[in-house]
Parts: sequence; structure tokens; C-alpha cells
Amino acid sequence: MRLLTVESLDVFYGDVQAVRNVSFTVDEGEVVTLIGANGAGKSTTLRALAGLLVPRAGRVVFDGQELAGRPANELASRGIVLVPEGRQLWPAMTVLENLRMGAYPKHARARADAILGEIFAMFPILERRVSQKAGTLSGGEQQMCAIGRGLMAQPRLLLLDEPALGLSPLLVREVFASLRAIRARGVTIVLVEQNVPHALALADRAYVLETGRVTLTGTASELLVDSRVRDGYLGYGSV
Amino acid sequence: MQDIAGVLVNSVISAALYATMAYGLAVIYGVMRIINLAHAGLMMLGAYATFSLFTRFGLDPFLSLLVVGPLFFLFGVVLYRLVVRRLPRSGATPSMESLLLLFGVWLVLQNFAYFIWTGDTQSILTAYTMKSVAVLGVRVGVPSLFVFAGSVLSLVFLNVVLKTTYLGKAIRAVTQNRDAALLAGVDADSISAVAFGLGTAFAGVAGGMLSTLYAFTPDFGRSFLLKAFCIIVLGGMESVTGVAAGALVLAFLENGLSAWTTLPTSFQDAVSFTLLFVTLVAFPQGLPGLFARLRTAFR
Repeated sequence: MRLLTVESLDVFYGDVQAVRNVSFTVDEGEVVTLIGANGAGKSTTLRALAGLLVPRAGRVVFDGQELAGRPANELASRGIVLVPEGRQLWPAMTVLENLRMGAYPKHARARADAILGEIFAMFPILERRVSQKAGTLSGGEQQMCAIGRGLMAQPRLLLLDEPALGLSPLLVREVFASLRAIRARGVTIVLVEQNVPHALALADRAYVLETGRVTLTGTASELLVDSRVRDGYLGYGSV
Repeated sequence: MQDIAGVLVNSVISAALYATMAYGLAVIYGVMRIINLAHAGLMMLGAYATFSLFTRFGLDPFLSLLVVGPLFFLFGVVLYRLVVRRLPRSGATPSMESLLLLFGVWLVLQNFAYFIWTGDTQSILTAYTMKSVAVLGVRVGVPSLFVFAGSVLSLVFLNVVLKTTYLGKAIRAVTQNRDAALLAGVDADSISAVAFGLGTAFAGVAGGMLSTLYAFTPDFGRSFLLKAFCIIVLGGMESVTGVAAGALVLAFLENGLSAWTTLPTSFQDAVSFTLLFVTLVAFPQGLPGLFARLRTAFR
């Protein structure tokens, strides 16, 4: 079943156009990754989908409803949840408070305790850090806390912006293992990630963005062997 | 000449009141990055509201805080909805528009008070205004003690709200990272309205308490706004302990200087101004920055 349809999306930062005529679709239960160089418009697309930026043109249809331009808090309540680049935790709140605030949307509050247990099962380190201020966590722990906070909202569509950015290879692997676990629970994911080998290994399908446009699309396994992707994005190392 | 116990007791009592004043500013600044220049006018209005409840209905000024608080909360929410929300959103620093607008609100409040209550100096005289009791061997006015109790209760109330309710956590979330709060489903506009209401309620309650200690005119509140600024520059806007520490430092300096030097009482306001100036020049990060620097220095 189709969960998200993005059609001819245009997003600007002031006068600068960051996303041009971008279209893609995401089915329920699918993991779709947007890959591309820095400044290709991947993060901007996610921020527009989450409502932090208002698209100038185009349609965003989520679960049959046109939602382009709605405010971020409304989209979060409808189940579109962004785990933003750079974690963006509340530094002076404890880990537990950060996680619990993730369940702020009314529909998420009832099952918050159960989800919290699942998050601690996925990231045991968070349970040991519950009363620590989020600002004092290491980068990897912060990322786990940010992902956990996103899950607390019980997303129907989880948008992940660079979850592995700035992490050591070991932690990158750990984060992607957790993403696989999240995917196994049937959560639909749109992933933006510089680490293309890892992203393609996780995803069902991928879209390649260049200077704000979609230039290539296909299943993850097709793109893994596509020469243009190999030359452009898989140059350094592999899985 | 007063002994150290007297200065300390009086400092702690003033500090609680100062912290209540400063918190009203800090909550609003935290959520909206706006400095509420109308805070002084709202404190003045709180004093007059308490005065009117006392003279018209014979309501005890401290009991009337239970009316003034909720009433000012609503007034703050209305003020936000009608006026403040129309401001362009402040970035990291308060916008010039917000300063001008709220300064204008202050002037309107002042003139409203001149119109209703005239410019005559007013004060509230209760049966206990002149009474005093001994605290740790120090004579303390009964109104001062009630002010201390009222301040502590207000601060405890605010902290319970901020720490335990979804609403309070949402206020802290918007303060610490606005985008992240939006992404968690927090409606920043409603939270801003609540924060402005809370800040206004704190100004009203602080003003009501001040009216039991000082005589007032529609011009009242200016020097207390300055004290609140000084505390915030010292202690920072974000932390409870910071505001408390800033309030204590200021109160101790004021009480100490008036007890141990021949500084005339009329110079008392100069203390907060000098402290504000010295802080901004010498350690602009305030006490938290100073402590951080000391920590690294002794490592």
C-alpha cells in the first residue's frame, strides 16, 4: 500500500532553490533511501516532509491526505516523525525525559511505557543513562537517544537524517543494526545517509539526488551495481 | 551596624522575591527569545490589583495572590494572542521589534494605571505590616516573611509544573531546542501563549508581594526590572540554580553594602546596575561561565 507520494516538490532557502521538482513514493513497510552528495537537497527534502520547511510548490500525500505546508507539530501528531541531523536532543533534560517527550503526541502516550521497554531492549546503554543529562552523552549514545525519541512517537513514517554522521565505524554498524531491527518491526523509513554502502544494504529502493533533482532511481540491489552509483558514491570502501 | 546573620537572613528573603521576578522574565525569554520589557509595568499592575482587592473587598494582600496569579496568567495569554504573537520570530537574540513593542506595552500599562488609580503614592497597610518576629535571632518584618513564603511557594509551583507535566516539559523542550520540540509534536504557538501567561502571572504575583513592602505609583517596578536583568545576566536564563545563585549574589551585595558601609539607601539601586555592568564587562557568560572557567583553571 502506498504510504507517501511526493510530487514535483520545490523547496527554497530564502531565494536559493534547494529542491527542484523532486518526486518519489514510499510504500508501507518499505525502506527508501535518498543518496547524493552534500548539498544535493536530501536533508532539505526531509525537513520539508517533516514540516520544518514549507515547500513552495508540489504535493505531499501521506496516507491519502494532502499535507504539504502543514506545521511540523501537526505532522508529528499524524505519525510523520523526523530524527534530525545532529541529534537535536534537549541537552539539559535527562535521557528519560528526552525519550518520554518523544511520546508527546496524544495518540502515543497510552503505549509509551511499552515502547520505552522495547527501546531499552534495543539500546541497553540508554537504560543505564536514564537520569543523565542528554547533553553529557557521547555522540553514539546521543544518536541512540534521538532514534529512541523518534520511536516513542510511534511513527507511521520514520524520517532519518544522517543517523551515522560523525560516528566511529563500530557505532555506525551498531546504529544500522538498530535500523534493521526497526525495519523488521514494520516501520516505514526514509533514510538520508552519506554512508551509501550501508544505506543501500538496508534499503529496498533508493533515489539519487543531484543538485536538487532526482537523477536516478531503482531498487537498492540494482543501484549497488550501477556504474554511476559505484563511481559517484561507492568510491571509498564498501560494505 | 548589623551582624552577619542579619545580612544573611535578609539576603535569603530578598533573594526569593528577586528569583520570582527573574523567573517571569526567564520563562518568556526561554521559549520566545523575547525580553519582556513590560515586566516592570506588569509588576506595577500586580501591585495595584492587590491594592484594589484589599481596599475594595478587604482581601488580604497575600490571599489575593491566589486571585492575581490566575488573573494575570489569563491577561498574559490574551496579551500574547492579541499583540506579542504578531512579532516576527526572534532568532538567537531578541529582535528590536519585540523590545519596542513590549516597551510600548509598558507605557500603555503605566498610563492605564495613571488613569485608573491616579499618580498618588499608594501603599497597603495591614494589621501585621509593622509587626516583626525573630528569625535566627534577627528581627524580620512579618510581611517580609510572608513574601519569602509566597516566593518559595511560587518557585516550587513553577518547578513542579516544569518537571512533571507534559505542558511543563514542552516549555523546557521549546526552550532547549525549538525545532526538536516541533518535531515531537509540540505546538510552539500554544506553548508560547502559556509561557507568556506564566511570565505575566509571575510578574503580577511579584508585584502583589512588593506592594506589601513598598509604596508604589504607576511608575513603580523600574528598579526591580533592572534587578531581574542583573540576576539573569549573572545566573543565566536556563537553570533554576543559576537564577537562585544570581538572586542570592545580588541580594547579599545589596544587604551587605547597606549594613556594613555608609552607602545611602538611595544608592541601593546602583548596586544592581554596577553589578550588571561589571558582570557584562568582566565575565559576560555570567556565573555559569565563571564557574566553568574556574574549573578549567584548577584542572
